[in-house]
Amino acid sequence: MNIADGNKLLRCHSRWFFLAITFFLWTAASHLGAQGDISKRIVSIVPAVTEMLFEIGAGEQVVGISSFASYPNDVKSLPRVGALLDPNIERILSLKPDLVVLHNSQTDAIEQMRRGGIEVFLYRHGGISDATEMVRRLGRRTGRTIKAMMVAKQVEVKLQSIRTRVSKYPKPKVLLVLGREPDTIRNVYASGGIGFLNDMVTAAGGINVFAHIQNEAVRPTAEGVLAASPDVIIEIRAEGLLSPTTTSNQPNVWDALSAIPAVQKDRVYFLTGSDLVVPGPRVAKATERLARTLHPSAFK
Amino acid sequence: MTVGKSDALLCANAVSYAYQSIPVISDVTVTAKSGDCIGLLGPNGSGKTTLLHLLAGLIAPVSGSVELNGIKLDQLGRRAIARQLALVPQETALVFDYSVSEVALMGRYSHLDTFANETQEDLDIIEQCLLVTGTLDLANRLFSTLSGGEKQRVVIASALAQLMPSSANSIAATDPVLLLDEPTTSLDLRYQLLIAEVLQKLRGQQTVTLVLSTHDLNFAAGLCDQLILLREGKIIASGPTESVLTAEHVRELYGIDADVTNHQKTGRLLVVPIKEA
Amino acid sequence: MPTGLNHPKAAFSYRSYSTLIALGLAAVSICAIGPIIGPTPINWRAVFDRTIPFAENVDAQIFFIARLPRSIAGALVGAALASAGVVLQALFRNPLATPFTLGVSSGASLGALLVVIIGAPLAISGLPAVPLASFAGAVGAISIVYVLARSRRQGLSTSILLLSGVTLNSLFSAIIMFVQYLADYTESFQAVRYLMGNLDVSSYTPIVWALPLLIVAGIGFSWLPRALNLLTLGSTGAAARGVNVLQTQRIAFLSASLATGAAVSLGGPIGFVGIIVPHIVRLLLGSDHRLVLPASAFAGAAFLVTCDVAARTLMSPLELPVGVITAILGGPFFLWLLVRSK
Repeated sequence: MNIADGNKLLRCHSRWFFLAITFFLWTAASHLGAQGDISKRIVSIVPAVTEMLFEIGAGEQVVGISSFASYPNDVKSLPRVGALLDPNIERILSLKPDLVVLHNSQTDAIEQMRRGGIEVFLYRHGGISDATEMVRRLGRRTGRTIKAMMVAKQVEVKLQSIRTRVSKYPKPKVLLVLGREPDTIRNVYASGGIGFLNDMVTAAGGINVFAHIQNEAVRPTAEGVLAASPDVIIEIRAEGLLSPTTTSNQPNVWDALSAIPAVQKDRVYFLTGSDLVVPGPRVAKATERLARTLHPSAFK
Repeated sequence: MTVGKSDALLCANAVSYAYQSIPVISDVTVTAKSGDCIGLLGPNGSGKTTLLHLLAGLIAPVSGSVELNGIKLDQLGRRAIARQLALVPQETALVFDYSVSEVALMGRYSHLDTFANETQEDLDIIEQCLLVTGTLDLANRLFSTLSGGEKQRVVIASALAQLMPSSANSIAATDPVLLLDEPTTSLDLRYQLLIAEVLQKLRGQQTVTLVLSTHDLNFAAGLCDQLILLREGKIIASGPTESVLTAEHVRELYGIDADVTNHQKTGRLLVVPIKEA
Repeated sequence: MPTGLNHPKAAFSYRSYSTLIALGLAAVSICAIGPIIGPTPINWRAVFDRTIPFAENVDAQIFFIARLPRSIAGALVGAALASAGVVLQALFRNPLATPFTLGVSSGASLGALLVVIIGAPLAISGLPAVPLASFAGAVGAISIVYVLARSRRQGLSTSILLLSGVTLNSLFSAIIMFVQYLADYTESFQAVRYLMGNLDVSSYTPIVWALPLLIVAGIGFSWLPRALNLLTLGSTGAAARGVNVLQTQRIAFLSASLATGAAVSLGGPIGFVGIIVPHIVRLLLGSDHRLVLPASAFAGAAFLVTCDVAARTLMSPLELPVGVITAILGGPFFLWLLVRSK
């Protein structure tokens, strides 16, 4: 090795060294700078955000959760402060939070928090990318920036791998059913073209039959379903009152519409789990479940 | 009144009635023979309306019984009673509007089967009844557009139509009874006269037996041959008009001093109130 | 006496029969148009093409599964609610009485929502849980109201009927609110949408189950018309003319409640049909119930099918709940009624 090479080496290394120092200083600064802005007592009325907080390691900073939160297990012991329609302001205040996560439609509650001088983190229902972005934001608010970035990145990477896996298969038309009247196909409540459910279907290698409807939810009639002619019907439910055994015992109500391809090819599925309906860090896992349902051969 | 019970067309035998344990009628006996015209007199709250409803079989007495042609009312069906006995209530207010003919035709209900419709015979009958009460020219008008007096006469026509026999029914009402609850209250003098004339005509021509309640002592005096004075649900006097309608009875009934005289021109009794007793 | 001019007109003549027949035909025609209209273009030849197996014939399925039962249900529900409205207005001697006055519809809604929100699969021989629970709720409400109103010695008290109905409405509505509160977001939304009415039966089963109830109610209705006419005079006046008032009230109450319960179990609580249609029919045809009752049934069927078509096409491809359409028509109608009656 001569001096010229050595210099070049030094210059290469110094570039990296310089970058490393900058990065370290910046992270330290963000930590230090954020020290005053880190929320230590968080009340979260949004289950998705609660999951995110636990996933990024900020679980100990959560002091109150929504009535409907069920994941992870640690939340079971935390005090519940109500939900979207009925936030219990007294309970929230009694927990002395420094940050309250509210839905951006809960205008009354937001106003009351602002009056109490308590910081509010606004949540809006959105697509998957909104969810990962929110994870990052939460990371900054809770002083878990790096972990948050990792979690978000993991989700994105996993989603990308799913997309790649299923990319070479033809995309079936999918009807994603979120709810309906029991034992019948009345009052079907399905995913529209906006929102994380639609994103999940797309990432899983399917085409939402109602992708053209610019709404999160659609209520198709029997005629609407027949006209949409889905190749696959997936019914998803959160756990809770409807146990998995109940769904499997139900006669296939979709047989009434035998002209749709999903019924003819016997591609009607029931999936349950809170991971399917909460746009939180488990969304990639949920997408994988969808992908395995749509393209089983891609996962052999 | 010494009248054999078997002669009686409609009689109430010692009936009593109470509403929510408050006695309204106590031990009242009314006997109406065919062709009688009986007036029930008494102040407000004396039980006149209740007595009429008992006589019509609309309510059941707590004790005692009411008989029509010797048969107890509770043993006769509603329709059977209605074919012989009609009641003209004090007021008739319709919620939905019907024409005068339709109101008159309602009187034919008891003569028709549930699913049968009115026939030409029924239409002829109501035409006659409207004629008798002087309301035929109102036949196609809406009931609600009539004056109080016209309404009352239409309802009387309807009650008459109810009592007319029809060829479809073998049970001919030979002795129809008409009960009227204060037929002239809230009517002006002209209509009072007209109604009195109609009722007289009914007594005479159609041999309808009448039992009516009224405030108007003079109206009763002019029309009825027998009077029953009711006070707080009890009879204080009953009998022929001349012997019942006296100044003492008026004082007992209404608590006022009145002069009871014979009116020169009409020959009827006239009661003129003078002062409080 | 000028008899010629003022000869009483025959009350219920052949003219009335021909009016009813004409109305009936008109109603059937309007209801027949219902399945023809819809957001999806249909290949009509394919619908009736027997060579295509039904299980694969999308056009046939759209017509026979999605649209036809819907129109039939609309006609039945419309006829039932309108007839029940006529009968109840006569029973209560009140032009503002509706089939929902007696607490029947809120009882039916409570039954339905309990099933929707708790999600219990209770299907019995093909009949889905919601219509079943809905009807059970209706029967429960009817029984409570009837027992309460019967406690007086003098038969059926209409004022107690009315009060019990109103009280029951409030009670059931409160319970419905509570049940909705327990539900999660999706279920709440479903509950709210249920309460707006939905004729998309997409199957003949609920219709087949509702038919016997409607037929029984219809038999009761056929017995009533002249008695209802006389009931207008008041119970004293009617009884004096030979009407068995208690029996009439019982039959009226029970058949109207049965019809309403069946209607709500088929299409949810669709309001205003029971008050708009009887009023317009009375306005045009007079008050004789022998004409008004069947005419209202026909008109109610045509009216609701038309509202359903409007619900499907006004904001196509989105669908409005049919109860919203009837409410949009009904609200101003009520106001007009009030103003007119002054």
